Amino acid sequence: MSRIRLSLAAAALLASVALPHVAHALTKPELVEYLKAVDERQKNQGDWRSMIYMEQKEKGKVDVAYEALVFRRSQDQKFIILFTQPKASQGQGYLRIDKNLWFYDPSVGKWERRTERERIGGTNSRRSDFDESRLAEEYDPEDNGEVKLGTYTAQVMTLHGKPDIDLAFPTLKLWVDKESKNILKREEYALSGRLLRTSFYSKWKKIYSESKKGDTWYPGEMRFYDEVEKANSTLIVIKGVDTKALEANQFTKAWLESKSR
Amino acid sequence: MTNLFLDFRIALRSLFQHRRRTLFLVSAISLVTGLLVLLNALSTGISETMIRAATTLSSGHVNVGGFFKVTSSQCGPIVTEYDKVVKVVEANVPEMAHWVHRGRGWAKVIADSGSVQAGVTGIDISNEPDFKRTLTIVSGNIDDLSQPNTMLIFESQVERLKVKVGDAVTLSAQTNRGAANTVDCRIVAIAKDMGLMSKFGTFVPVETTRSLYQLRPDTTGVVQLYLRPQYVKDVTAIAARLRNTLEKAGYRVMDPDANPFWMKFQTVNREDWTGQKLDVTTWEDEVSFLTWTLKVLSVLKLVLLTILIAIVVTGIMNTMWIAIRERTREIGTLRAIGMQRGGILRLFLFESFQMGVIGTVAGAAGGSLVAVLLNMANIKVPLGVQLFLMSDHLHLAVHLSALLGAGFMITLITTLAALYPAYRAARLPPVSAMSHFG
Repeated sequence: MSRIRLSLAAAALLASVALPHVAHALTKPELVEYLKAVDERQKNQGDWRSMIYMEQKEKGKVDVAYEALVFRRSQDQKFIILFTQPKASQGQGYLRIDKNLWFYDPSVGKWERRTERERIGGTNSRRSDFDESRLAEEYDPEDNGEVKLGTYTAQVMTLHGKPDIDLAFPTLKLWVDKESKNILKREEYALSGRLLRTSFYSKWKKIYSESKKGDTWYPGEMRFYDEVEKANSTLIVIKGVDTKALEANQFTKAWLESKSR
Repeated sequence: MTNLFLDFRIALRSLFQHRRRTLFLVSAISLVTGLLVLLNALSTGISETMIRAATTLSSGHVNVGGFFKVTSSQCGPIVTEYDKVVKVVEANVPEMAHWVHRGRGWAKVIADSGSVQAGVTGIDISNEPDFKRTLTIVSGNIDDLSQPNTMLIFESQVERLKVKVGDAVTLSAQTNRGAANTVDCRIVAIAKDMGLMSKFGTFVPVETTRSLYQLRPDTTGVVQLYLRPQYVKDVTAIAARLRNTLEKAGYRVMDPDANPFWMKFQTVNREDWTGQKLDVTTWEDEVSFLTWTLKVLSVLKLVLLTILIAIVVTGIMNTMWIAIRERTREIGTLRAIGMQRGGILRLFLFESFQMGVIGTVAGAAGGSLVAVLLNMANIKVPLGVQLFLMSDHLHLAVHLSALLGAGFMITLITTLAALYPAYRAARLPPVSAMSHFG
């Protein structure tokens, strides 16, 4: 009997030492709240202007680099990417209005309707990479525990696309910094379950947003690695962020066309 | 009748008497006929190769394809409940010999050493005897396409992907709802190139396309109708009739657009409708981006032929004028001993006709021989030319009807060219003709 008591005491002692390091599994509502917090940090709730630099490396091809301006308006989810460099791409742009993504090429003067999953400028980046985060609206999270990612302690979760929403990636896996709630790493999976793209968010920056009346966080640098064509990667740098109100008529085809005249 | 035969013999003798002149004219006629035969053989060869490649790789003689739009901005090349469409087709196209259905799509084919964007066609290999017969397999076994997640590619793709039979590749595409998806396939056969269309075409079992694009079993990409040979020339009329029939059966049918299905995505995406619309096309529509080569060749043939015929006609008329001038006294003598004007007319027309017959026979034989020799030489054409020829080798098709047509046309023209000089010869007064010194 005393041996049993001794064993129980030892187990209790061990548990008291070990438990602070083993996080309890998050419940579904807790995870949803967690995801909402991730989204909330990146939300601007107003207008947004930034400059992006994109660099695409592909096996057997010359590296391609673009500079573009991104404009977005939170209230009606409008969005523009206007290419400024290289010269051959100047004036080309994407416009998202009424949940449709359009592409304009000034050399032919035509608008083409594109899918939301369009690879921007042929790189491995998509429109959603430059837009506000809507993870909690689009996905149901599942807890995968905590891991150490370098010096960060990351909450890992698998996100499954909600049934009635069309998503480019039906399954995601996120590594979120426990402390800041910034995304550190993201894996995107195909319907078949195959890993397609891994993204690393190495620099998070913040800007005060008048419309939000608080700080808005954005990734200063993103690196996308193609997991099917292993040698392909994309670097995105976001800079020159400005949250001042944009012109009322900016999110129109006419405005984008005027930029190439 | 005896007179006619006599005139014919006199004309023939006259030809032999003026050998040098006859030889020169017959050679010219022969050259023009030979060139016409070769040009016909080339355009027929290209046309036949094009039909063969098109109806093997990407089209039936008539196709019932279409688009399904989940939202107004997302469309896929899909025919839903295709068995019902087939029933309408079977009841209304008696000219049809058989039909097949194929999956349609576009995907990135990724291997360890490279990747290509390619059209992915889903086929049921057990139901495609023509496909098996037309393709030349250089490696692997085409029947293995009956196994799930297998793939047939062409030689030119092997160069880019650096793969061989047995290697695995990944197909990466978006479903019609826009979700990313992949399927791993094993290469089971490598086929010899068939021109431009094989550069961007791959074949997988139809179940693989359904799996890649997450489609139901009752969907397909296109129903391809193959007509009995005698009706192939009527494809446009049959397609128009089928369009009406399908509309009457309650289907929404797209307006006729002579373009391949993959060139219609932009147009369809711009339109604000959702659901299913069928699209009836012919093989010519599906390769319309290439048939301009045939049109260019036809125009070229016409221009060349006009110039050559003009030269021959001028040559014949000139030669006849010279002959009449040289033989004026002979004409006068013939008229004096009782030959009527009609006889003189016939004499010169027969001469020209005989030269036409000899020249066209020689030209047709020569042209056919050159065509046969070129086919036997199996001449490989450069890549740029392959795109237009739809084949990596030069193929000339000589048909008896084309030979007879060319022969008849050139003989008729040469005979008619002699009509006016012969008429003038017949009008010569016998007395002045006999006293002519020239």
